[in-house]
Amino acid sequence: MSTFAASFTAKRTSGGSFLIEDLLPEDIFTPEDFTEEQKQIAQTTSQFADEQVLASIHEIEAKNYEVTKRLMREAGDLGLMSVDVPEEYGGLELDKVTSTLIGDRISVSGSFSVTFMAHVGIGMLPVVWYGTSQQKEKYLPRLASGEWIASYALSESSAGSDAMNIKTRATLSPDGRHYILNGEKMWISNAGMASLFTIFAKIDGEKFTAFLIEAGTPGLTVGKEEHKLGIRGSSTCPLILADCYVPVENVLGEVGKGHQIAFNILNVGRYKLAAGAIGASRNALRDAIRYGRERIAFGKPITSFGLVQEKIAESAAGIYAGEAVVYRVVGAIDAGLASVDKSAPDYSMQVQKAIEEFAVECSILKFWGSEMLERVVDHVLQLHGGYGYVEEYPAERAYRDARINRIFEGTNEINRLITTGWMIKRAMQGRLALLPAIKKVMDEVMAGPGERNGFHGTLADERALLANAKKLGLFCAGVASQKFGMELADQQEVMGMLADILAEVLVLDSVVLRTAKMAGRNALGVKLAKYYAARSMRVIVNAAERVIGAVAEGDMLRTQMVILRRLTKYDPINTVALGRDIASAMVEAGRYTIQRSVA
Amino acid sequence: MRILTLIRQVLDAQEGVHIAANQIDRTGRKLVMDTMDEYGVEEALRLRERGAQAEIIAVAVGPAGVEEALRSALAMGADRAIHVEADVELDAIALSSVVAQIARSEGAELILCGGQQSDWDSQALGAATAERLNWPQATWTRTLELSGSSLSGKHDTEYGVESFEVQLPAVITTQQGLNEPRYPTLPNIMKAKRKQIRKDSLEQYGVQPKLRRKGVVVQTTQRLRKIFDGKDALTAAAQLVNSLRNEAGVIQ
Repeated sequence: MSTFAASFTAKRTSGGSFLIEDLLPEDIFTPEDFTEEQKQIAQTTSQFADEQVLASIHEIEAKNYEVTKRLMREAGDLGLMSVDVPEEYGGLELDKVTSTLIGDRISVSGSFSVTFMAHVGIGMLPVVWYGTSQQKEKYLPRLASGEWIASYALSESSAGSDAMNIKTRATLSPDGRHYILNGEKMWISNAGMASLFTIFAKIDGEKFTAFLIEAGTPGLTVGKEEHKLGIRGSSTCPLILADCYVPVENVLGEVGKGHQIAFNILNVGRYKLAAGAIGASRNALRDAIRYGRERIAFGKPITSFGLVQEKIAESAAGIYAGEAVVYRVVGAIDAGLASVDKSAPDYSMQVQKAIEEFAVECSILKFWGSEMLERVVDHVLQLHGGYGYVEEYPAERAYRDARINRIFEGTNEINRLITTGWMIKRAMQGRLALLPAIKKVMDEVMAGPGERNGFHGTLADERALLANAKKLGLFCAGVASQKFGMELADQQEVMGMLADILAEVLVLDSVVLRTAKMAGRNALGVKLAKYYAARSMRVIVNAAERVIGAVAEGDMLRTQMVILRRLTKYDPINTVALGRDIASAMVEAGRYTIQRSVA
Repeated sequence: MRILTLIRQVLDAQEGVHIAANQIDRTGRKLVMDTMDEYGVEEALRLRERGAQAEIIAVAVGPAGVEEALRSALAMGADRAIHVEADVELDAIALSSVVAQIARSEGAELILCGGQQSDWDSQALGAATAERLNWPQATWTRTLELSGSSLSGKHDTEYGVESFEVQLPAVITTQQGLNEPRYPTLPNIMKAKRKQIRKDSLEQYGVQPKLRRKGVVVQTTQRLRKIFDGKDALTAAAQLVNSLRNEAGVIQ
């Protein structure tokens, strides 16, 4: 934990509790809580991204790795890659909100942000967390400076989602001084530029272990670059290991415990991906507004038209919600980390546990964030009309680049299964009081119509929606469990629907809390919150109906539908007027903003 | 030696300009250090990196928000800052009085400031300050070198590029191309947290604005989207004049 603690620390909470607990606005971390230093760091990152990275975008996309490597070294010189590195190895050891903020602001280019994030996250963190002091001393300074680029190799051609099924083998050499690795890896980011690889293999076909292997080690070959739909400037290659001799000192962490590394790293990768999605969304929306203000049709800039404004408003609301949920979750992680003793011998393990506490939230961030980005880049391409379809404008690149986010870092299908699966697992383990909460809701709704909306104030309707959404989530989880029992995990479609409800509850909760925390100082924020809430409820209702349809029939179905309707009774708001208002603020500012000028 | 770098905070170039209550509306807008002043901060840092033993003090006069710009200067590498808190806007002449007083009280030998303000385009600040202090000034500086207490360099004049050599103390004003301002690095941003920003009040300096703003109007540009065939220059010129007079109404 850094010496320079954030001036505001969120309330200590536990993972999954968002469904069963109601926090106060002052309990969560919001973008409005950034410290001066965090804002300056964000500014340095944005300037570097806009002025240096974007300026070289064509070179990057043409796979000119010398340019990418130079930019990585410049990023290293600025300290952008030292944030998670301990001070004793030349790092800054700052909080997770700061490192997330960097991931957010750097994301102006899909290719560069994948290179950067793969290096800083899955590339460097295994060494930070599991490295011996010799390994850390040897590798961390060069990785933090960008002199060396790191790469993480877990997936194989036949083992992606089921990572435990990898086939790459390691055998101890007769003299006990090396492990000999044989196998292959697939889809390895940064492979064509990397100097250090973290490669996972099974010792004797059983013990899942991580190895640090330097580029150029005999027996390690980097295969040909994949020709990808998007992130073309990011290096993606297979690796071939043919009698690759790795010194035993290069085992990372413990023999047979490599899966721990893999799972823990993924949690961080997931929330960082969401942060990158928000940054990319902001950047894309800026391009769209810039284009829309200039493009004239029927005598007016196209930003004057309703169907254009609607897309701008939807995109802006998605970004607002994304900022709210990402920084809420990462702030909660930092709050958990605040009580971890830096000098403890198992410090790294405790850090990972504090992050793992929020594994459900991290999975939600990943699938929700990537899909939010998808909606934005789709709107942005459409807003550009024909110019969105050609390479001269950045819209098509953003569109192509976005697509990978639903696939890597765990497919969105896997992340949905994890979301629902781990909520239930925690409940079974007694870590989350889910079952009592479900029971309470079931009793309540079965008893009959409840009290009216007891909320007052600016977001009263949205807070009522949120309260009902939580009940609905618990109710759906309850009826699904009742129907399928232990077999629920095999009902992937229902698990997916439940995950959608859980995600919207977490996001809407974060949106309402963020907006309430601004305490009436921000009228635009209130509009964005209302606009997002309207969409959120439609998603929740849709998923809930499908759950009920899948678990009930006949009278039971009708009863459950009555409950559903009771819990989702609300008057639709005027999203047209709201959307136009939101869009006009964005158009006037030229980009996503939550500030509105007194015009 | 003490170097003062003067900084002002202006609207970010990408922000739209709006009027409210007869002033430029800055609420909720992105404000940044004037790039012209960034060149000054950067040049001070380079002089030090090239061997000068210097304490670099960033100075700004303005409302509370100006502190952000001072923190940027500190994050770039300035040693400390002075924030003269003022809610009233000061013109360059009035501002120069504050700067001159600070220069004297701090015993500064070199003042760096922007050659021209990015927002109001005034070039007077450097010159007015030099006048008050009776110091030499080199404006629109392109290159600068310090040797002992002697500054040499090149600067732009109306007639071309001029080499100069001047003994400290002196005022140097900047221009684009003098240097590439560095991004504040993360370690420096964190170090800047501990650097001092001294708060002074405008009253201490006994200065009043010399100008009173009567009104502000934003001139909008309109595209008429006309293309004149330029093959025959005389005809094209006549057509242009006609258009400007009778269609756009901008000349009589």
